[in-house]
Amino acid sequence: MLKDVTFGQYYPVNSFAHKSDPRIKLLALIAYIVALFLAKNFYGMALCLLVLIISIAASRVPPLRVMRSVKGILILLAFTAVLNLFFHGGEHLLVHWKFIKIYREGIIFTVFLVLRLFFLVMGSALLTLTTTPVELTDGIESLLTPLKWIRFPVHELALIMSIALRFIPTLIDETNRIISAQKARGADFESGNIFKRIKAIIPILIPLLISAFRRAEELGDAMDARCYSGSKNRTKYKKLKLGWRDVIIFFLYAAMVTGVVLFNIYAADICPQIYEFIKVS
Amino acid sequence: MQDGENVIEFDNVKFSYPGADGVFAVNGVNLNVRRGEFLSVIGHNGSGKSTLARLINGLLLADSGKITVLGLDVSEGKNSREIRKKAGIVFQNPDNQMVASIVEDDVAFGPENIGIKREEIGERIDWALKAVGMEEFRHSTPTRLSGGQKQRIAIAGVLAIKPEILVLDESTAMLDPKGRREVIEVVRRLNKEEGMTVILITHFMEEALIADRTVVMNRGEVVLTGTPEEIFESGEILETYNLCLPRITEIINVLNGAGMNIENVLRPEELAKSIAENFRAKNIENAVSEKVAATDVNSPHEWDIKVENLTFTYSKKSPFATKALKGIDLQIDDGEFFGIIGHTGSGKSTLVQHLNALIKLPQAERGYRAKKSKKGKPAPVLPKITIGKFDLANRKTDFKALRASVGMVFQYPEYQLFAETVFADVAFGLKNFKKNVTKEEIEKAVKDSIEIVGLDYAEVRDKSPFDLSGGQKRRVAIAGVIVTKPDVLILDEPAAGLDPLGKKEIMELLHKLHKEWCRTVIIVSHDMDEVAENCTRAAVISNGEAVMCDSPATLFSQEQKLLSLGLDVPLTSKICGELKNYGINVECDCTAEDFADKIIGIYGGGNA
Repeated sequence: MLKDVTFGQYYPVNSFAHKSDPRIKLLALIAYIVALFLAKNFYGMALCLLVLIISIAASRVPPLRVMRSVKGILILLAFTAVLNLFFHGGEHLLVHWKFIKIYREGIIFTVFLVLRLFFLVMGSALLTLTTTPVELTDGIESLLTPLKWIRFPVHELALIMSIALRFIPTLIDETNRIISAQKARGADFESGNIFKRIKAIIPILIPLLISAFRRAEELGDAMDARCYSGSKNRTKYKKLKLGWRDVIIFFLYAAMVTGVVLFNIYAADICPQIYEFIKVS
Repeated sequence: MQDGENVIEFDNVKFSYPGADGVFAVNGVNLNVRRGEFLSVIGHNGSGKSTLARLINGLLLADSGKITVLGLDVSEGKNSREIRKKAGIVFQNPDNQMVASIVEDDVAFGPENIGIKREEIGERIDWALKAVGMEEFRHSTPTRLSGGQKQRIAIAGVLAIKPEILVLDESTAMLDPKGRREVIEVVRRLNKEEGMTVILITHFMEEALIADRTVVMNRGEVVLTGTPEEIFESGEILETYNLCLPRITEIINVLNGAGMNIENVLRPEELAKSIAENFRAKNIENAVSEKVAATDVNSPHEWDIKVENLTFTYSKKSPFATKALKGIDLQIDDGEFFGIIGHTGSGKSTLVQHLNALIKLPQAERGYRAKKSKKGKPAPVLPKITIGKFDLANRKTDFKALRASVGMVFQYPEYQLFAETVFADVAFGLKNFKKNVTKEEIEKAVKDSIEIVGLDYAEVRDKSPFDLSGGQKRRVAIAGVIVTKPDVLILDEPAAGLDPLGKKEIMELLHKLHKEWCRTVIIVSHDMDEVAENCTRAAVISNGEAVMCDSPATLFSQEQKLLSLGLDVPLTSKICGELKNYGINVECDCTAEDFADKIIGIYGGGNA
């Protein structure tokens, strides 16, 4: 059976991170990603980790829950790691067995890369764990508002997104009901080869499509009846408001980006011996 | 605001849908609606009543004739926004008229569209949610609400635009009785207290009764107008419009046919009073009817269907875990017409899905391991279900054969049709269940099942199921289940959403199937009258438990208990209850027929 995904992986608790403005959180995530890619050494990476730890603490989401989000990319991670480990050249050869050569530089680079992806996924997960899809939609709409100047249909896009969110649980319910009904008529979705299975989906897909079209038509009527006529002369009830939390987030992330840049420039001067050893190249 | 002023005027309005070959969905309608009026519109499916609603606010434009709403001509495009502000419509399906995932955002949608300032939208949301009694759900998600609650949110969404006219287009058709009562209560209050003009389009005769005035539509025409009393007095003529009389009127007609003199009243307490007056006129005091022959329907014997200690929890081991069934025991006999009564969310659907193993018992699941009983604690009692020769707790049971012999018709089964032709759709189940059937066998089985559900095989065989009418589609869907000749047929709300005639026909069909096709029929229903009229026995499921199980007569005599569970009793039980106040004790098996017989029996026994 399919599960409800309206709340995505939203983790319902009350916290600093949950209460802050979705726009700031989106911008903070962008800043965080930029910082991760700007960082050229472990000092910068450590700074990103520090900010990530602070953010997780401020979200009251169990750290293990955040880490679990990495599960989805483990294979990708392993693949990248192996490739880099074996094919990254360098000066200090550590292992040489048949055609496999592993250099110290390769190990350091691999660790660096893996950490970067790890932090990236955890940071993004933190956003969806602390922000409902509805809030995200509002945030995206608000951030995209300047694009109205180039006639980009911001309002329409946001409406499409929010209607999609609204109907996902309804259509999931419907799918489950249709699956049960066809199972009761002896339909078998679990056995047979791939072609048989694809064919078995037809009795689910067609009723679902027909129902979706019917719903769309009725929704259109209902929206018309409630005076909908596009974004013209439309007001908005919910206004996102920046608060003191958002100011703190802003400064924290601004400081992080600045810090990373500074480390990039001056890292070699802080303890040159250590830097030489863990230099990423 | 003065009374009597017309807010809506229809002047010889005609409308046909594109491709309808000149058949008018609305054909020459003249109709005026006064300010502050509560008007109900009744008519069979396809009589044009929903088209009427869409013509009022310009969702559809008339082919000819003139419609004026609050002095504005609907045909002029520039008026449409103004008219939609003044005349709001609530539609049938509560799910399909919500745009947002949070209640207050959805209510805000209308005011936002007409450019209301933010602060005022907030006030309007407060007011609208209060008017429908849903203030506490302001920040909830509509998908988690009941049908009645969703529909009240939809009404609030329309109210927030501050319309003067509220049109409800079959807005109660998909709700259970409780939800229906909630919605009607809200609408009534808006009409009485806020002076709102209300047009209630419905096919529940009982709902039409609360209006000031009723309009009857048939084939696109307004055929009758008058007060509800006047309309239902017209009697048989309503049947020619494919409508049914309210049950109470049917009973009155039978009583009057036997020489009693009962006014055409519409409420059980009025009927009881009238019966009492009739009795007094014949000097009948403290009348007692014959007893219903006591049959011990629950005596222990070998049952055909046995459910023991059935428990079930949804989303186990998650924060959303909900216990749907809490230890149900239930026995059903071979050959019964059994009713399962309960609200939406009572667990009745979960229960019936166990009966054909759509939800399997834990012991029957692959990889099940019996829990070792801990010391000092008794081993947990495992749920058990047997149906005839099938043991549903056994993993080795042939579940395919079980599903072939326990047919299951879901709610709104027509939404599960998918094939290109009626034939292919009906044959789908048969081909799935029986691997080595010849073409001729399939042909014969499909033909038989299409014919028994009352369709013309030659006519519908190669038609697309999507080209049929609503009632026909449902029949095809039922045919698609009974094609395997199941011994037990389970139907979840078989009559939901149909008009009164359609309902009657479907119940007749079920009786026919019970007699000629399937030995045992089980219906899940929340219509008490439906259960009282049709079932041999019924179980009440409430909050995951089977709280009662008995014959309708015994079941419905416990009015207080049923009401405390938030359920209703059939009309006849209500009248019997009222009659007790007059010292008249009538005991009946809760069918309208038996009730009328008993009353006439007492009446005939008296002396003038």
